[in-house]
Amino acid sequence: MSAETKKPGVYLCSGCGIGDAVPMAALEKVATREYKIPAERCKTHDYLCGEEGLAMIRADIESGEVNQAIIAACSPRVNVDKFRFDGTQVVRANLREQVIWMTEPGKDDTEMLAADYLRMALVEARKVGLPSRYEGESYSERILVVGGGLSGLTAAREAATMGYEVLLIESTSVLGGHSRRWSKRTPHLPPYREPQPNDMEELVAAVKGESRIKVCLNTRVTKTSGAPTDFTVELTQEDGAVTEERVGAIIMATGWRPYDASKLGHLGYGISPDVVTSVQFEEMLATGAPKRRSDGNAPKTVAFLQCAGSRDDDHLPYCSSVCCSASLKQAIQIREADPSTSVYIVYEEMRTPGVAEEFFRAAQAAGVIFIKGKVKGVTAQDGLTVKVDDELLREEVPLAGLDMVVLATGMVPNAVLPVDDDGEPLPECDINPMSPIPVAGYAGEQPEAPTGQPCVTYKGAPILNLQYRQGPHVPILADGFSDSHFICFPYETRRTGIYTCGPVRRPMDMAESAEDATGAALKAIQAVRAISQGRALHPRSGDLSFPKINLNACTKCRRCTVECPFGAIDETEEGYPIVNPTRCRRCGTCMGACPVRTISFDNYTVDMMTSMIKAVEVPDEEEEKPRVLILACQNDAYPALDMAGIARTPLSPYVRTLPVRCLGSVSLLCVSDALSSGYDGVMLMGCKSGDDYQCHFVRGSAMAQERMMKVGETLQSMMLEKERVETFEIAIADAKNLPDIIGKFMETIDSVGPNPFKGM
Amino acid sequence: MTKPLPQTAARKYDLGFAQWVYDNIEGGDRISLCMQCGMCSGSCPIGDQMDNGPRKTFMMIRAGMKEEVLSSSTIWNCTQCYNCTVRCPRQIKVTAVLQSLASVAVAEGYAPQKPTLKFSKAFWRSVSWFGKTDERIVTAIYYFSYGLMEGFRLAMANLPIASRMVKAGRMGLLLPHRTKAAGDLRAIVAEAEKIQNRKRAGS
Amino acid sequence: MSKVKFTYYPGCSSMESGKHLDMSVRAISGRLDIELETIDDWNCCGASVAHVKCGPLATSALSGRNLAKARQQGTADVISPCAACYLNTHGVNESIRDNPKTREEINEALSVAGLSYEGDLHVRHVCEVLVNHVGNERIKHEVTNPLNGLKVAGWVGCQTVRPFAGTERGGNFDTYHDPKFLDNFHEACGAEVLPFEPKTACCGGSVSVYSPDKTLGLMAKILQAAEDVKADVISTPCPLCQVNVEMYQDRINKEFGTNFNIPVVFYSQIMAVAFGMDVKEAALDKHMITPTKLIEKVKK
Repeated sequence: MSAETKKPGVYLCSGCGIGDAVPMAALEKVATREYKIPAERCKTHDYLCGEEGLAMIRADIESGEVNQAIIAACSPRVNVDKFRFDGTQVVRANLREQVIWMTEPGKDDTEMLAADYLRMALVEARKVGLPSRYEGESYSERILVVGGGLSGLTAAREAATMGYEVLLIESTSVLGGHSRRWSKRTPHLPPYREPQPNDMEELVAAVKGESRIKVCLNTRVTKTSGAPTDFTVELTQEDGAVTEERVGAIIMATGWRPYDASKLGHLGYGISPDVVTSVQFEEMLATGAPKRRSDGNAPKTVAFLQCAGSRDDDHLPYCSSVCCSASLKQAIQIREADPSTSVYIVYEEMRTPGVAEEFFRAAQAAGVIFIKGKVKGVTAQDGLTVKVDDELLREEVPLAGLDMVVLATGMVPNAVLPVDDDGEPLPECDINPMSPIPVAGYAGEQPEAPTGQPCVTYKGAPILNLQYRQGPHVPILADGFSDSHFICFPYETRRTGIYTCGPVRRPMDMAESAEDATGAALKAIQAVRAISQGRALHPRSGDLSFPKINLNACTKCRRCTVECPFGAIDETEEGYPIVNPTRCRRCGTCMGACPVRTISFDNYTVDMMTSMIKAVEVPDEEEEKPRVLILACQNDAYPALDMAGIARTPLSPYVRTLPVRCLGSVSLLCVSDALSSGYDGVMLMGCKSGDDYQCHFVRGSAMAQERMMKVGETLQSMMLEKERVETFEIAIADAKNLPDIIGKFMETIDSVGPNPFKGM
Repeated sequence: MTKPLPQTAARKYDLGFAQWVYDNIEGGDRISLCMQCGMCSGSCPIGDQMDNGPRKTFMMIRAGMKEEVLSSSTIWNCTQCYNCTVRCPRQIKVTAVLQSLASVAVAEGYAPQKPTLKFSKAFWRSVSWFGKTDERIVTAIYYFSYGLMEGFRLAMANLPIASRMVKAGRMGLLLPHRTKAAGDLRAIVAEAEKIQNRKRAGS
Repeated sequence: MSKVKFTYYPGCSSMESGKHLDMSVRAISGRLDIELETIDDWNCCGASVAHVKCGPLATSALSGRNLAKARQQGTADVISPCAACYLNTHGVNESIRDNPKTREEINEALSVAGLSYEGDLHVRHVCEVLVNHVGNERIKHEVTNPLNGLKVAGWVGCQTVRPFAGTERGGNFDTYHDPKFLDNFHEACGAEVLPFEPKTACCGGSVSVYSPDKTLGLMAKILQAAEDVKADVISTPCPLCQVNVEMYQDRINKEFGTNFNIPVVFYSQIMAVAFGMDVKEAALDKHMITPTKLIEKVKK
């Protein structure tokens, strides 16, 4: 839709108190005089979202008078469905939440603020286009599940039950993973007080009996290329046979392996055959009553040592969350088999969240003896002796004469394949805790290390071996677990259409893994469905736009290919970027990265943003009315500003907010354009970055921060103070802090004085 | 059910003590539920007279500190006010546990000179002679259990109280009160002790 | 209301130090249509120290004999006015009733005297019977000499309510930490009920008898609280509480430099006076510290 064919209609709402706080006639004048909207297409209504108001807009659209509706009323975040007119573009100006609800009614400043938001909307309407969808050639809806343990089996079964074809591959010769070998499982059904039967055999049988699931044993993925709905995977069998399959989405359920106990000499591993790991002990339980390896006798006194090599900076720094319940289960099983056996559990913190607390109590009732404290050492004197720094007695207590010691070792994620020192993949070592386990983690791709932290390069071979510009790995976050948005989108990885679930994502037990796998299966189904309709996955669910690159202007700087958080952009042999639209999540980070503004979306461009910024009328210096631009992330910061308005929090009338898809989509040019057109300062509000990020596009806000670190040079070349631009991490819960944050920034601007570019 | 305490060379720690207590002490079956909240020790009116208090005692049981538990003042100074018992969020019969531990301590020879034991002995002397507790007899035996001279000193120190009691008509000067069938009672108690010992021997 | 018979277990203190409890309980019972038939040739319950020397079973056997004797006299509920007697007898009765092993062992011991007992009696505290069976309305009805102006600090102590007052078999008659029954008795008698913060505080029990040095402080606190609220008398249901706090006042004064001279009486004595009985019937002549203010209220 070109500018000539656009027929914008302006609809001003005077309801909700807008008409009382702002003179509507002045706003109408902005539309009709400044922006030449014909008077008959500029209408004010006192209840625009009511039936009558909506009918008025609908009538204009149906008569063909209007094909673009500019609604100047409430926040674009509310009444979305009411102000949706199919085939007609809607642009919103937020006069309620961010004007009249946070400024004083009847004041000139309030009127100027409202007028500026209307101007920005009018400019947006001029610049914005209706997006057209991406069309692929054909779409595969088949789902590949990598890993045949509990998580993989569950994901496969769930997807098949929903009617989708599934290809399930497993690197070993049997299905069922670790948990198939468990004697019993920790309770997952009410009343959550006793070990429950292991139902893995049933699950394996169900998967084998499902006609929609094709199972490949002794098989690994050796290559993955393409994009969601059109992945090509190369599968290599143990005997070397190679096949290729086409799939639409991938679920990576590669699970975990126990931490290498040979590193736990300080806890007595290796000093006696009767010091075993919980996995080894579980195998004993599975084959009958546990027996001492030394003499084959049943142990009469057993001590479980929790956090063996976990929550320990020299070993695994994290909590594996399942070991406490696993030891409780094993302890109860021993007491059930022989009530005369003394069972000790030595722990620092018993972590039994939620209903697992019931299980903890059950173990107490079963007479398991709990000792709270840190293990100081394990020796082979007097049977086995465990020295404990008893936290409740505040003294060292020896547990002497033990028949057996069980080390509750943690979970190591299989986010990469273990490799030896030369980088060669190691043979299968999953269940054998004696085999060495290299630390997994960042591999291939090496993102910037968090500030102040040493950069750790993890070793490991890729599991999916992605043929992506950004490397073969599914990205990994801290501690070697696969990266996912913990708070909002737990199964999403940074590779669209690829989902991780189960203990490869975070330590979890069987019940959690099954739930996780079910979630991942649903996400994979959602992915193949949405993508085959050309729609974006969340957080911009349903968005049809995708980045378009004008290669004539491209300087082959590769910023877009490197910075895309989702690996959506590859490079041609000549070094030009090529977009894989189905991998794209529409955050616009590429657009923000491009130094020559040659990347754009149909409905989101740098030109649109800078034009909107410039639409604001900046008063002369003498008027002493500063202007500060807030570039606010639509996901958290902009809602936080709305929330401040809803709470009637007074905020400065001198700020002008422009919502952005992600702070990653903000080009440095937006900032310099704002400053050169007279704004006194720019606040960039994005989500939290770092290991505990909340950015909805994972790396967008981090990218923006990195770019803004370089803004100093730009400011210097403009002879401006660096204090004029600042980045903030704002969560929705920060709504109440905004007056303080914005107030402080306004003070800073006051102290550095007006922008000398004003009025130029 | 009750078995003799496992004997160990080093008395300080005994890995089997916790299990033994759980299995053999009245109320012991719930000690494993103790979550160390400290409500018992915090509720004790006489906690300042105890070396450990019930909470710590329960943890010492888990740690196998048999000797220290059985020779601690905690098990002797309980006034049996039952505050801890009714307040325990895990329904542990704290008072009963402390009482039972005291009798275990006596049986195991940990408490030869405790006033509680002397008093208990005096009390039993009266009960088994006369079937009833005669306060005059009990106090006299108790005082003289400290020796002849100390007995006189204690008796003289309490003479004002005694004489006021006599004056108030609440301490007679006649012969002790007795249960007529005191012999029967002695036999019943002897039999009960026999059963108790049989249980301790683990037969 | 027709008379109801109870089997009565007075306990050892009834013979000397606590005879005024026994006397006053007997006195008010008659007026409240309660017939008391004493257990024939009863023996000591073991109080709170017996177990130390002889262990739990021998101690339980003491109550076992009493219960067996009571059962020979019929199936009437057994009642006791003494906190410790009630605690032991009720406790042993419950474990004979609920625990087959205990039942068997105690019966084995009882058999040497030709006795047996299966746990089919109900052992109750006199106060619980007054609350659940008699009721305050009935008590009020009997009051002919309301004790207007008598300031009473109601001190329940420990074992009267703990650990059974809140249990079903204990009659659910009050709470463990803020029992109201005693104040209600006094109110029914027309006395002024004082707020008494340490109402369930411990006097040290039998520890006070053999090691008072450890517990004088506990008693001093109770006395101080009574003095703070200007109590004319402290009233209690427990014979050991009564005797401890009465007889140790001189020693407490010496140790703590205080000047306490607060009479300690039983609720049953207060009731007896309110019911119009004289000093002798109410056993008010049995005190080391004369309850002058209460005696002044006695109907002339």
